[in-house]
Amino acid sequence: MFILSELEHKLRLPPHLLDLPLQDAIKGQLESIFLDKVIAKLGLCISIHGIKSIDGGFVLPVEGAPTYTVVFCMVMFRPYVGEIIAAKLKDSNPKGLQLSLGFFDDIYIPSYALPNPSHSEPDVDPNRVRWVWRYNDMELLVDEESEIRFQVTSVDYPTIPLEQEEGSKPFAPMVVTGSTDSDGLGPLSWWV
Amino acid sequence: MKILKSNAGHLTNFEVLDLLRSRGASKDPTRVMSLITSSEFKVYDYLVESAACDQTRENINQFVEKSKEYKLAKAEVINIINIRPSSEVELAPLIELEQRGWDEEKLTEIVEMVTQVLPPHPNQKESDEVAAEDDSAKAGDEDNAEDNAEEEMDAS
Repeated sequence: MFILSELEHKLRLPPHLLDLPLQDAIKGQLESIFLDKVIAKLGLCISIHGIKSIDGGFVLPVEGAPTYTVVFCMVMFRPYVGEIIAAKLKDSNPKGLQLSLGFFDDIYIPSYALPNPSHSEPDVDPNRVRWVWRYNDMELLVDEESEIRFQVTSVDYPTIPLEQEEGSKPFAPMVVTGSTDSDGLGPLSWWV
Repeated sequence: MKILKSNAGHLTNFEVLDLLRSRGASKDPTRVMSLITSSEFKVYDYLVESAACDQTRENINQFVEKSKEYKLAKAEVINIINIRPSSEVELAPLIELEQRGWDEEKLTEIVEMVTQVLPPHPNQKESDEVAAEDDSAKAGDEDNAEDNAEEEMDAS
């Protein structure tokens, strides 16, 4: 799930931070720039692992702040295709399931990736639907409480749209698509 | 921003949890006096409820050593450490069975090794204890589900 990536960034350190120790000031700036943001093809930035080198510190003309070139390692969330991840159910609608990890919510299990044969039943809430798997005369419901394990089938980084309609879902820069169509996948309560 | 190395190493959930803990993350609800941002806390919350919360570096090193005899790929080893399967059916999606041609026994061996070396999932601890009480009548021993698992292995 988590991978270390090494990045280099040219960073402008605002003057009001100059009384802090250099490492801390730079780390703080890096955190405010990168944390909880998605970098295309690298994944979601989780945490700064360590700073490898700080270079520069030049003050360019007309500027009040020094510019540093920092090389650092960062923990990224980037699941690989085929990985099994445990997540919680966030939403269940006619298109399929949406799962959440707490820090990352855009995990979708489309309805064709649910074990065969599954069918949906209407739920109390009109927008939601309950998915049920019929296995050898047993009806197994995708329930809300147990953790759901799924296998990652793809990780996409859609490009930022130029315009968005009013009221549509906020743009998701990283989308993980999964499948629960295999032994041992799906809600844990089905197998334990 | 330049990407120097997109993959400088894979991390198990435990290593990320350890990193956050060493920076001061904890379960206490006030969370003001630490250097962790709220987004990092969300990751901490997720990891603390997963199988990684009770693992130690020794467990992981031991597991990696023992898994060498099965020639598992690195990705599979990391996956197993993160999920900590406690039965064959949970282990099945983690391993590429078709390429290996292993049978049930091999899977059972690996599952037993996993339950022996890695500490159980916090939710599983209760169900392991219930199963252990049913199987062997050890009334005094409620804390160690692992001890019970080992005794079952010795008995069989």
